[in-house]
Amino acid sequence: MAEPIIQARDIGVKFAINRRRKLSTRELFIHGFRRQPKGEFWALRDLSFDIAPGDCVGIIGRNGTGKSTLLKVIAGVLMPDEGSVAVHGRVAPLLELRAGFSNDLTGRENIRLVGSLHGMSQRMLDERFDEIVEFSEVGDFIDTPVKHYSSGMRVRLGFALISQLEHPIMLVDEVLAVGDRAFKKKCYDAIEKMLAGGRTMVLVSHNDSDLKRFCNRGLYIKAGRMEVDGTLKEALETYHADSDSDTKKAKAKAAGTAPAKKDGEAKGAAAGNGAKPAGSAAKEDAAKDGAAADDAAKEKERAQGTAG
Amino acid sequence: MPQITASYATSQPKKAAGSRASRTIAIWQSRQVLNLLVGRDLKVKYQSSLLGYAWSLLEPLALAGIYFFVFGLIFNTRALPEGVDAPGGYILYLIAGILPWMWFSTVLSDSTRSLMSQAKLITTMKVPREIFPLATVCTKGVEYLLTLPILALFALGSGGQWTWNLLYLPLAVVLQFVFLLGVALLLSSITVVLRDVQRIMRIVSRVLFYATPLLYPAHMLLESDRFPEWFKVVYEANPIVGIIELHHAVWFPMLVPPGPYLASTVVGTLLIFALGWWTFRRLEPAVLKEL
Repeated sequence: MAEPIIQARDIGVKFAINRRRKLSTRELFIHGFRRQPKGEFWALRDLSFDIAPGDCVGIIGRNGTGKSTLLKVIAGVLMPDEGSVAVHGRVAPLLELRAGFSNDLTGRENIRLVGSLHGMSQRMLDERFDEIVEFSEVGDFIDTPVKHYSSGMRVRLGFALISQLEHPIMLVDEVLAVGDRAFKKKCYDAIEKMLAGGRTMVLVSHNDSDLKRFCNRGLYIKAGRMEVDGTLKEALETYHADSDSDTKKAKAKAAGTAPAKKDGEAKGAAAGNGAKPAGSAAKEDAAKDGAAADDAAKEKERAQGTAG
Repeated sequence: MPQITASYATSQPKKAAGSRASRTIAIWQSRQVLNLLVGRDLKVKYQSSLLGYAWSLLEPLALAGIYFFVFGLIFNTRALPEGVDAPGGYILYLIAGILPWMWFSTVLSDSTRSLMSQAKLITTMKVPREIFPLATVCTKGVEYLLTLPILALFALGSGGQWTWNLLYLPLAVVLQFVFLLGVALLLSSITVVLRDVQRIMRIVSRVLFYATPLLYPAHMLLESDRFPEWFKVVYEANPIVGIIELHHAVWFPMLVPPGPYLASTVVGTLLIFALGWWTFRRLEPAVLKEL
């Protein structure tokens, strides 16, 4: 096997639990440092893997198990508290359904800004601009501030831009879940072309058929730890087996506490995934069977909730 | 194709010195990004308001005008060592100090937001995060440099002396840049984990305005016996005082700071820079999680 392009060794990322509000000096004066909550929660722990050039790796796992966090660590926008990640080559990231566009700038300005931030030269931008706009199907809206875009348009523009980057590594988080059928088809073609060109790709998705289509490898992450590192098929099988048994457990528990059914379901689901902070996480778990698009949105919400 | 290797954050800082060097190189390599950020900020500022460039002049001019009215005319100040006869007079003294002060005060207030306002970019792409406070300092620095023609106009109009002392100006600008970069690194990272800093800085900025020889020459305070010795030491230890004195020295030869004091200003500036750099590196992992 060739030299790995991404090398992760024992990475761990922890977040503080209970830090809902930002620490303010007022609280500092009133409570002193001792009121600092000591609770920590490892979003990822002891994760090691190698990714070879040209691999397409699918990351699967339930909401809140650290998939997006892992992508962020690979992208270098989050620093692990433990271990190390070595990435050999530039990374084109499409994280949390956004490419880093500023809301106040127009689509055109954003393409220029984000494109050059990713290292596209002026000439390259000029050459590819039309292609990006055409691919994204935003049409006349290209001169409208991005804040007025629909979420689909934003993702399309983001994907159109990021897919033009010639970086050897591409990270994609849930993008495929948002576009409509026609756009999905275009994405598939673009991804296939990139993979054929020897690009390395890491995908996070809840859509099995998307993953099966592209990925030769699968990482199944459960509660922040690596559960399966093998072929996509192995990873998916374990994942499905796990979630089936979780659903059964939750149902059993809900049946046991029939009067407060809704509440029970939420609790049951939360119990099935003990390593998470209570509250918002439990709510999400209860709704885990929602559509893939919903899942993506919640994933985002969770990431912000934990970080904030 | 060149292989770019990025390797970050092990819990044991094995190669601290090496990583500092590579960090600096990474920032240098992102200078295109820096140009872009500064260009964008300046464009937004000068395009979005009708008066554009005039706005960046109006504020310091209004300030200088007010203080000239109050202290120069009403109190009829003889603040300068040679009295009202000093070439350039009180109005040039005010302008020469207030223009660079605007650079200080805008960085003090804006750098608290330089990471938070770019949260979207920072959380989606890997660029050296130092770029953002650096961009704030550069943007405000460019705005300051654009006000220099006004300084020249006032110097001409008020009969200021054009001497070799002009060479103090680039020295002052370089020192101020390093000092402000340290401050921006410090404030931008601390604010993310401690939001109140933003409010505190408004007060600090106001205090510093009067704790800096902008309206009065420093020796008035230092030679006065109404202040205890320790207070004078604290006052002089502030690198901003030394830097502003340099800005004044350009036009008023009797205000050229003595060698040892200049040296202490340089040391103080470097200390602030080191503190800012160190704090930024320490807080960076936490900042990335908070954003």
